[in-house]
Amino acid sequence: MSKIEIKDFSVRRGLFELKPVNLTINEGEIFAILGHTGSGKTVLLEAIGGMFPGDTGQILCDGIEVLKIPASDRKLGFVYQSHVLFPHMKVRENIEYGMKMNHFSKEKRRAVSEKLMKMFSIYHIKDQYPGTISGGESQRTAIARALALEPHILLLDEPFSALDPSTRNNLYEEIRKIHEKFHCTIVFVTHDFAEAERLADRVGILLDGELLAVTKAKELMKKEYCDKVELFLGRK
Amino acid sequence: MKLLNKKSNSGRKDIFSQITIIIALLVIFFIGSAIFAIVAGGLSGFWENLKSKEVLFSLKMSVVTATISSTIVMVLALPTAYALTRTTMPFKRLSGLIIELTLSLPFILLGLSLLIIFASPFGKWLKFHGVKIIFSPLGIIMAHLLVNLPYAIRLVKTAFEGIDRRLEFIAETLGATSFQCFRTIMIPVCRTNLVSAFILTWSRAMGEFGATLMFVGITRLKTETLPGSIYLNISTGNNEAAMSTAVLILIISGTALFLSQLAGRNKIEQRRQVDDR
Repeated sequence: MSKIEIKDFSVRRGLFELKPVNLTINEGEIFAILGHTGSGKTVLLEAIGGMFPGDTGQILCDGIEVLKIPASDRKLGFVYQSHVLFPHMKVRENIEYGMKMNHFSKEKRRAVSEKLMKMFSIYHIKDQYPGTISGGESQRTAIARALALEPHILLLDEPFSALDPSTRNNLYEEIRKIHEKFHCTIVFVTHDFAEAERLADRVGILLDGELLAVTKAKELMKKEYCDKVELFLGRK
Repeated sequence: MKLLNKKSNSGRKDIFSQITIIIALLVIFFIGSAIFAIVAGGLSGFWENLKSKEVLFSLKMSVVTATISSTIVMVLALPTAYALTRTTMPFKRLSGLIIELTLSLPFILLGLSLLIIFASPFGKWLKFHGVKIIFSPLGIIMAHLLVNLPYAIRLVKTAFEGIDRRLEFIAETLGATSFQCFRTIMIPVCRTNLVSAFILTWSRAMGEFGATLMFVGITRLKTETLPGSIYLNISTGNNEAAMSTAVLILIISGTALFLSQLAGRNKIEQRRQVDDR
């Protein structure tokens, strides 16, 4: 479990600008970043992961600036919307990659990867390459890969957007189980209010690069917000 | 109105297609004329020429020097292209520009610059210590290096630029160091492009003439490469031998091009997953 503190963090990426964000995500919390396409959700998530430095402010992970922690010691798992599996590695090799880089023994790697593959029902595709598996299988492989090192923080970029409703429902349950089992802090990006309400403890609404509201997920549709957020929620 | 637009569009497309077909026909005409000249002169003469001591020597010289130089070029191009695409090194842009400058220079000028350097006291000092570069096969390799290194760097750079940076980010979050990312992600992901780059570089080295001529000179059965052999034979009026060597180069280049195309075929399939954003 890790606590994430975002202090006055802003960044410009090409033409897009993420305006200063102030936010604290508590240890073990499931936090949803909600917003429409192009609002900067992925930029914020990648910044939390330490992919690039900001123009102002800082992002702290357990009190230490995330960029000052070597990527390998950040103890975070990242899952992209498009999964970003290593295309030249089989499903099993994708899952075992992190363990291999951390010098786990072959037996340990096998044991962990088999456990995860069984947990995510992808054992039958263990010897297949990413290009030959379905979107749902790909997604579960990416999540299994991120979980193999038991991360303290799990960052998920629209993890359910490309899935059919039944696979999506199964994955909701799996995310809940992961949270219970690994006790990790989960930050996920979505544009689906129902998904945010169902999965998250708290929700941050990010529109046009600006974090406009942070609320408890259960109160998302009950509270009143500024016009922009009301418009986004379809209430105006 | 829409119909008119469609018509003018298809008209434009027709012009494009016609130009392409004309260029393809011109290429067939030029290459075909060389092949026709060989066939008309009798294939037995062609085989005889190919089996001659001179052609076999120049073939061996070209293959050995091109293979050595292309291997060195790729070994140097990989880290350079990585630095130019993935690091924040100082003077990165300027370094890239300087490296690529040689691409726009005539090869004969590159050969001349090598000659000036190695004919200087430094070159004489090397020769005194047993390293003979001018007028030796080592010089051919040097000429290939100078001509092909920026070309290979550009090819490798393009290959690296095509790799989704998120793959490396994910690998890093999983504990990979920069070098491990390079070795386990970047190289395997673009290996088909790298194989293709090696083949194209090798093919270019096989046909390199200008820099070699200026720096090493072409001495029969000493520093005679395949293009050099054509030059020598044409100079002495032995057109038949020159044509046979030309066809041999044509076959080698054609095979190299085919292999590089073959190597590149899988990359689309590989990228489908990565580029699916």
